[in-house]
Amino acid sequence: MIRPALVIAGKDLRLVLAGGVGLAQPVLLGLLLVFVFSLARPAGELVPPQAAAGVFWLASLFAMVLIYNTLYSLEEAHGARTGLLLAPLAPQAVWLGKGLAGAGLLVVSQVVFLPAAMIFLGQDFHGGVGLALLTLLAGDLGVCVLGSLLGALAQGQAARESLLTVVLFPLLVPLLLAGVRLGGLYFEGALEWEAAASWLGLAAAFDAVFAAAALILFPFVYTGED
Amino acid sequence: MNADNTGAGWVGPLAAAAGLALAGAQWFIFGYAPVEATMGVVQKIFYPHLGLAWWGMFSFFTVFAAGALYLWKREARFDRLAGAAAEVGVLFSALALVCGSLWARPIWNVWWTWDPRLTTALIMCFIYAAYLVLRASGLGRERRALVCAVVGVAAFLDVPLVFISARMWRSIHPAVFKRQGGGLEPEMLLALFVTLFAFGLLWLCLVALRARQLAAAERASALAAGRMGL
Repeated sequence: MIRPALVIAGKDLRLVLAGGVGLAQPVLLGLLLVFVFSLARPAGELVPPQAAAGVFWLASLFAMVLIYNTLYSLEEAHGARTGLLLAPLAPQAVWLGKGLAGAGLLVVSQVVFLPAAMIFLGQDFHGGVGLALLTLLAGDLGVCVLGSLLGALAQGQAARESLLTVVLFPLLVPLLLAGVRLGGLYFEGALEWEAAASWLGLAAAFDAVFAAAALILFPFVYTGED
Repeated sequence: MNADNTGAGWVGPLAAAAGLALAGAQWFIFGYAPVEATMGVVQKIFYPHLGLAWWGMFSFFTVFAAGALYLWKREARFDRLAGAAAEVGVLFSALALVCGSLWARPIWNVWWTWDPRLTTALIMCFIYAAYLVLRASGLGRERRALVCAVVGVAAFLDVPLVFISARMWRSIHPAVFKRQGGGLEPEMLLALFVTLFAFGLLWLCLVALRARQLAAAERASALAAGRMGL
């Protein structure tokens, strides 16, 4: 399952990045979000660290919706989805492959969003990089697990981005709370193991529960029907 | 399809029983249970509130169970049951939030507070409202049933995570409001159980009726398609 998944991820990344347009839309949307939120800051006042972390994660979530939408629409033309379904590989390999490709694209977008959040929302760079990376990993893992599972749900639908947003965002609330709290601690410079452990545990539990669910449920979502 | 037709027999009497039970519950609430000493007559909201909240949560469990059964058996009646339960669940939870809010205004002095239970109920409302949006989004029948079953299962897996995260979120803040302790008077407890039972009957009745309605709508559109030779 791993090898086919890597092949699918590589194919998707090449297709999305070939024109360079693929990633422009999610990155631009996220940047716009950060910028628009920065307008809400009264002149001369600081944005609370937790609010800045919230804006960062919201930008990431909107980018994620666009990314998975793009990834799953790659197969919509010329009946390519049927070809992928007929290929001798476990359907879960498609989930894993798309998940990996999306994770790569999401990380690239976040590389843009994080400095943007710091610059526009006036946050400082602090130590504790290891825990910050762990937070990003735990958050992105859950976001991609669920995004890859449900990204296929609106295939062949008009207005699927909005549908995906409405379905995904409330499901992601626990992960979003963990990300906002941990990110807030990081921007405050107070991200330490004792404070972070329970939230990281929650995020890991979220990742594990939905990864297990996705392995079982994905074959039902990704089908040849329209 | 036969199961839907034979269901016609028991829904009528059930509806009558639910009506009687609700009327009886009103008497238990206002005539039998004593007026609470500190909260006064406002506390009466609590009985229907708990009935709505419990059966709302039970609906969401039904969506999960029916979704899992649909994925396993692929029978359309489970899909209809999930759809009906989700609609009633969103209605009940929203009403529970509204009447809880009406109760909280005089008692807690705020309309809303980030209590784990309130937060969980609100987020569940959002999730299942999104589920209903998905149902209405014009996917093909088979495809919609599959996708909705998957979302219904995933949504219920989220419930404990949402509750835990909401509790952790709040635990950092000081506990502004202590929950009212459980020690209910026996008369209040009896009134509570009667109300819960009455709302249970109402819930069953609404879900059964709605599932039958959905089955009838499917038959009607199948007939119309047949007439037009599609």
